[in-house]
Amino acid sequence: MAERIGVFVCECGPNIKEAIDLDTVVTFAQGLKNVVMVKSFNLLCSEAGKKLIEENITKNNLTRVVIAACSPREHEHTFKKVLSNAGLNPYLLQLVNIREQCAWVIKNKTLATEKAKAMIQAAVERVIHHEPLESKDLECQMDALVVGAGIAGISAALTLAQKNRKVYLVEKSPVIGGKVALYEKVFPTLECASCVLDPVLDKVLHNEQIELLTLSEIQEVLGFFGNFIVKVKKNARCVDTKTCIGCGACFEVCPAKVKNEYNEGLDERRAIYIPYAGALPNVAVIDREHCLHFQTEGCNACQNTCPFSSINYEENDEVQELRVGAIVLATGFDVFDPKRAPRYGYGKIDNVYTSLEFERLLNSNGPTGGKILLKNGQPPKKIALIHCVGSRTREYNEYCSGICCMYSLKFAHMVNEQLPDSSISEFYSDFCLPGKESQGFFNNLLDKNGIEFVRVKDLDSIKFSEKKGKILIQYKTINPPSSTLLKGGKRGLQDKNIPETLKSDPFDMVVLSVAIEAAKDAQDLARIFDIPQGKDGFFTEEHTELSPASTIKEGIFIAGCAQGPKDVQSTVTQGQAAAGNILSRLIHGEKLVLEAITATVDEDLCSGCKICIGLCPYKAITYNSPESPHTPLWKRGAEGDFEGDKGGFSDKKENLATINEVLCRGCGICAAACPSGAIKAKHFTDKQIFAEIEGLLNTNYAKTSKMSLRGTG
Amino acid sequence: MSKPKIALYWCASCGGCEESVVDLAEDILQVAEAVDIVFWPVALDFKYEDIEKMADGEITATLINGAIRLDNQEHAAKLLRKKSRLIIAHGSCAHLGGVVGLANFYERRDILNRAYKEVPTVKNPQGILPEIKTKESGRELNLSGFHKTVKTLDQVIEVDYYLPGCPPTPELIKNAILAILNDELPPKGSVLAEKKALCNTCSRRESKPDKVRIKEFKRLYEIQWDATRCFLDQGIICFGPATRGGCEERCIKANMPCRGCFGPTDNVRDQGAKFLSALASIIDSKDEKELEKIADSIPDPAGLFYRYSLASSILRGKIGTV
Repeated sequence: MAERIGVFVCECGPNIKEAIDLDTVVTFAQGLKNVVMVKSFNLLCSEAGKKLIEENITKNNLTRVVIAACSPREHEHTFKKVLSNAGLNPYLLQLVNIREQCAWVIKNKTLATEKAKAMIQAAVERVIHHEPLESKDLECQMDALVVGAGIAGISAALTLAQKNRKVYLVEKSPVIGGKVALYEKVFPTLECASCVLDPVLDKVLHNEQIELLTLSEIQEVLGFFGNFIVKVKKNARCVDTKTCIGCGACFEVCPAKVKNEYNEGLDERRAIYIPYAGALPNVAVIDREHCLHFQTEGCNACQNTCPFSSINYEENDEVQELRVGAIVLATGFDVFDPKRAPRYGYGKIDNVYTSLEFERLLNSNGPTGGKILLKNGQPPKKIALIHCVGSRTREYNEYCSGICCMYSLKFAHMVNEQLPDSSISEFYSDFCLPGKESQGFFNNLLDKNGIEFVRVKDLDSIKFSEKKGKILIQYKTINPPSSTLLKGGKRGLQDKNIPETLKSDPFDMVVLSVAIEAAKDAQDLARIFDIPQGKDGFFTEEHTELSPASTIKEGIFIAGCAQGPKDVQSTVTQGQAAAGNILSRLIHGEKLVLEAITATVDEDLCSGCKICIGLCPYKAITYNSPESPHTPLWKRGAEGDFEGDKGGFSDKKENLATINEVLCRGCGICAAACPSGAIKAKHFTDKQIFAEIEGLLNTNYAKTSKMSLRGTG
Repeated sequence: MSKPKIALYWCASCGGCEESVVDLAEDILQVAEAVDIVFWPVALDFKYEDIEKMADGEITATLINGAIRLDNQEHAAKLLRKKSRLIIAHGSCAHLGGVVGLANFYERRDILNRAYKEVPTVKNPQGILPEIKTKESGRELNLSGFHKTVKTLDQVIEVDYYLPGCPPTPELIKNAILAILNDELPPKGSVLAEKKALCNTCSRRESKPDKVRIKEFKRLYEIQWDATRCFLDQGIICFGPATRGGCEERCIKANMPCRGCFGPTDNVRDQGAKFLSALASIIDSKDEKELEKIADSIPDPAGLFYRYSLASSILRGKIGTV
């Protein structure tokens, strides 16, 4: 049966009508093969226009529709609906963009008309080969995954955890709380960090909707918003979390000593340990890399000692597959390693600490029980705090880490409190004190004794050396008289009025305010989650101003310092924002309409050449090799999720590529690559595209443009 | 009852396809027993007139090898089409244009000049080029006209089936003849070989890693090749993924990569473009400069990608020539 094609031409008010001779176009279209009716109309996207199309489809028994109007981006959706309403499959439509591609860009009316004719002919030739396509839908996965159980991830998880919505909180370390759990106090309130954090952590541990997976890492992520499949590797803790009460009997008998990474290596822990007092969950963990049981197979000390028989050396790592609808990446940060900048003497001169190490020295659960002590056990008399170490310098990180000024001021507050007779010198070049709390926090320090602010002309010019057991700092100061210092209202330092002086002072202790950097594993995570990183390695937000908590990958959100340096308050805000994004979009009972334009493999043609393997950006293609004819579940996806069929998955055939239709988004990369034409991209088949090209070239427009293909056919 | 009549003819070809018939060896006797060979210029002394005298459709099947470049080839093809129930394009040249189809990269004039004037072994001080009619010593000599381009057989006459290969294997020829005799032919227009690409049956397929990525294209002589490993995985361009199987991997077994003589699989309209697209997809770089360098490591890409299929490709040859 011959197709019955209707062509509708939109005048788009004056937009198209004035630039193109539509009478000529209509007459031309009427002469095309299989075209049974042509109509032009003032505004096809209007209610009247839609009605006109719908009525004509029925009246003329149209089997195909070509609409010459605007960009498909603007109204393809509208016109597809019109076809559906008229009982015609929406994919039997071809839209011709004679507005943006003809009317608006070609000044010569004759040429614009000729081009419109050529494009309509191409569409008529193409639409004959269109096939009706059906969109399948899929129940949305309501559950969410949060990666990283620091304050950002926890904020997101608690916001997300609701009735009917489970949250998987995946944390690579044995404890939750992230960096904040390592601090003694938080700015600007100077509240005790564990007083702020512990109740929140407790909520996480007792929330039945949150499944916490500690010691776990994400290995692979497939799928898309509403339907992610995540493979998680859960490393063995070798301690039963249900029976261990964290009594500590085991680590007292453990003979293996390891530098304690939770105290920044300032002291030692055992191979079985709890990272720090008060760590949550309060359960021991075996570090198999250092445990003598695993390294020499000789030791069973902890097992023998444990009063609750909680030690299980046999526990294996497990790989778990999670099905979630959305993901929050809250994977935190690492700090700048000052060894990269040798001038600070870090690692060479005693009593030079990073800010994170200093946080541990201040912490009552830290290596010194919260006492600020020098290596020799004495409290320091003079402490220097150096700002912007690794930040705001083109040499390392161009950006301002945003929080260092505030935590350095916090240190000043805390040192002053603990050692009121010691002096503190803050070496800075600029202060970053935004927001409603910060300036006040700073101003409070100005009234205290023993705190000095040293404005240095160039932080990079400071020199550090060791002299008689002390640290000698040489610097060029441009200090204003302290009475005029930055105090509320007295802004606007005029550098030219301030004399430069070369000075050198000895200190007992130096604390380096090191930059916040992208986490060391950010690159791996970006690869696994397929999201972009900025030049500094932080995950890139979808839109700097408007969508700071989402990524370009729909359904994957970012929060906290994984997205960029920020303080606790902003981190919590972003975690909650990420969760809010998910809550507003992943709605119970809503179905996910899957892409109808997908690719399929013709099993009779696929030679198993593997060219397509690994090209799919959605990881929808798998190769069934004879050695492993049963593709692991996590690679297969939503089996049985479709109603009434077997889930859109081909039977497992050996030596063939198969495309998971749930994951396929119809981008066509595999179809272009398939060298034997076994992969077909629906709606973009070779047949359709060639017909379109031939329709385009077999016109006056193409011939006069010397574009025609010779000898085609 | 008289035996079915079979004819064999050659056009622009090297003679290898004729050889492939002879390579049937003892099996040819079976064929000769089952059929009457009524025309086979290479082996038997029949004339055009013998064919002309036959009734239309009298010949059951004619196997024509070679592409079409000369008047007499076109004439014979059309005559045989008229007299035969089935026409089978025999071998790459009839099927796709074959190696002779590569002439479509050149203008007719350039080819004649090269062949009759410029080749060092030719002595032609007067610069005489072949003409259709030449008067010499009062006599008129006739030569067949030399067409502007090389055409595949189905660009000149309707073709019923294709026997692919340069040349086709004796096995495929035998199967085709048996299918004709037993009336077991697939739908008209079919290529009488495998449906899937060569990789499907390649003896090296197990060695292919899951992800093939190429950083530099190599030729056999440039590397310490491994005769058991997938060519592509060694950076050697092999047309296996883009070529219909059925050749018994004769080249692969001799450690030569596939060059695509069996042509594309059913859904592919332009073998060279398709394989180029596939190769481009697996080049292992995202850097423009490096990509250019990798692409440049393919010598004579046009001649490589269209080794057998230029005349049947979408462009059919160099624009301006065809």
